[in-house]
Amino acid sequence: MKILVIEDNMELLRDIQMFLEEEGNICEIASDYKSAYDKIGFFPYDILIVDITLPDGNGLDIIKAVKKENIDAGIIIISAKNALEDKIYGLEIGADDYLTKPFYLTELNARMKALYRRKVYQGNRELFFNEIKIKPDSHEVFVQDRLLNLTKKEFDIIHFFVVNKHRLLTKEAIAEHLWGDHIEMADSYKFIYTHLANLRKKIAKLGGNNYVQSIYSVGYKFTDRE
Amino acid sequence: MKLIKKTNKYYLIFLVFLFPIMIGVDYYIIQFAVNYEVEDILLHEQERINYHLAQNKTLPPSNYLMKTEPLKENYNLVEVFRDTIIYEAYADKNVPYRLYSFNASNASEGQQLRITLKHVLLEINELIWWLFIATSFIMLVLGIGFYFINKRIYKWAWNPFFENLSKLKNYGVTIEKPIHLKSSKISEFEELNQVVTTLMAQVRKDFQNLKEFNENISHEIQTPLTIIRNKVVLLLESKNLDEKELGLMQTIHQETNKLSKIGKALTLISRIENQEFKRLDSIDVRAMITNIVSNMEEIIHFKELRVDAKLDVMILECDHVLADILFTNLIKNAVQHNTQGGFVNMQLDRKKFVISNNGEVPEVDMERLFQRFQRGNPAKRSLGLGLAISQKICEIYGFRLAYEQNGKTHVFSLFFKGQDADFLKQPM
Repeated sequence: MKILVIEDNMELLRDIQMFLEEEGNICEIASDYKSAYDKIGFFPYDILIVDITLPDGNGLDIIKAVKKENIDAGIIIISAKNALEDKIYGLEIGADDYLTKPFYLTELNARMKALYRRKVYQGNRELFFNEIKIKPDSHEVFVQDRLLNLTKKEFDIIHFFVVNKHRLLTKEAIAEHLWGDHIEMADSYKFIYTHLANLRKKIAKLGGNNYVQSIYSVGYKFTDRE
Repeated sequence: MKLIKKTNKYYLIFLVFLFPIMIGVDYYIIQFAVNYEVEDILLHEQERINYHLAQNKTLPPSNYLMKTEPLKENYNLVEVFRDTIIYEAYADKNVPYRLYSFNASNASEGQQLRITLKHVLLEINELIWWLFIATSFIMLVLGIGFYFINKRIYKWAWNPFFENLSKLKNYGVTIEKPIHLKSSKISEFEELNQVVTTLMAQVRKDFQNLKEFNENISHEIQTPLTIIRNKVVLLLESKNLDEKELGLMQTIHQETNKLSKIGKALTLISRIENQEFKRLDSIDVRAMITNIVSNMEEIIHFKELRVDAKLDVMILECDHVLADILFTNLIKNAVQHNTQGGFVNMQLDRKKFVISNNGEVPEVDMERLFQRFQRGNPAKRSLGLGLAISQKICEIYGFRLAYEQNGKTHVFSLFFKGQDADFLKQPM
């Protein structure tokens, strides 16, 4: 998919670009309002990632322009502001998602893919990882075409894993994805561990492989590579 | 002590001291004046007698004459005033007299005379008595005069002062528009007004700066933190880290997270302080609590907590976001600082919400529990900002948050203000 990232911090911009390109996307960048505006006019993008504070303007104005010109792109706001009304306003003027800084790139990736799936495939898209098949909209997971009976959180974890396959997911990133800010980190580690243990057991029962690798003690990777 | 009492007190003290001094001074002045007058009369009488002696060669009849004595030859006595007391039979008492003795020559008899004149004096006791009465009267009039004048001045001259004082009492740095102090014709008050106005402007400016700084810093750190954290994850993804490097990376990762959370929490606190949450939603507290508890189902289940809730219907009018933060904090606190297999008891009625739980004995001072960065248990990784935030929210709505500890049972009580109280309607 084609993505335009609009963010005034060059370092963050390059990190996002690198990450998204590694994930097989075409990713362009704009570090100010003007160049972003120019690029939107020229190329069709699937996803726009927009920072609100720009040196020469406001990211919200870009969103308004995009909506006004009927450009069909999914929009994710990335902002340092964590206020509810900012989120509500952003979504009101046509953004599809709102991500608060600091965010994990894996989280951005998951949100982006979910948005893309909703936009382009109207949700009718299945995710595959070897013998594992995920139907995100019906919250169903199949191992070798046999339905896996999962809890909500277990589904969220495996979905997050498959979307970010081969990537290191830190425990913090997983906890944030599953529970948001509403949980004490120390507690969340235990939960993640418990959920993962259950997940492994359930997958193994249906003859699936264990793709979850523990990376040191900081997190996990869902991969079939060494 | 009020200024008016203070000044009246000193006026009174002054009058009390002035009183005997006035009597004393008056006494001597009157005595002097009376003596002078008496002496004047006696001297006139002397002249009259001398004149009579020269013209008629006889002593004239005189009311003042006391006695005449013949003087021996060339025996010249000086003229002298004296005081004496003479017993007057008609009054049956001693009466003070001023005496004047002088020499005169009776030409007809060719004889030198020593003549003594007398004039009755005012009686001292009586004089003092009259003076006392007169002075007392003056003092009384003075005192009453002072009192009323003072009262009048206090009311009239100090009026702008009190008006400004009540304005200043209602002033806070968060109030956007500057207050205008009532001007006064009294230069001291005018000067004070100017100083206070300048001071307020300065304080407000400083507060605004501080506020902006706070807001900016908590926002501005988030972007660098995003970069740091993602770089750390990238580094962790690379496979050739040894044990020691790994430890370093993990620490950086954790501390970055902590920093980000501190930033967010402080932003929230300053937003609450800046009263950015102004909505008055009608909140069904019972539903809200039930919802929060169900969101924590997982951790409650994991910790095997017994949750017992007695919730009455309670509608609270406040900002939805703040109410959610407040109740979430309290319930989260009770759940998180609980022991394995402990209990959480909740009770809600129209007046209060009480939540109690098991837990370790906190090491923090009870008084400082609500301050920022105070942790009950330093080993836990919480930031210690939750209760500070709750406290801030309570301050805004006039709720009271109290904490009690009975051994290993911790009780937080949240007292709502009366629903009909006008504080709920007040613009913030």
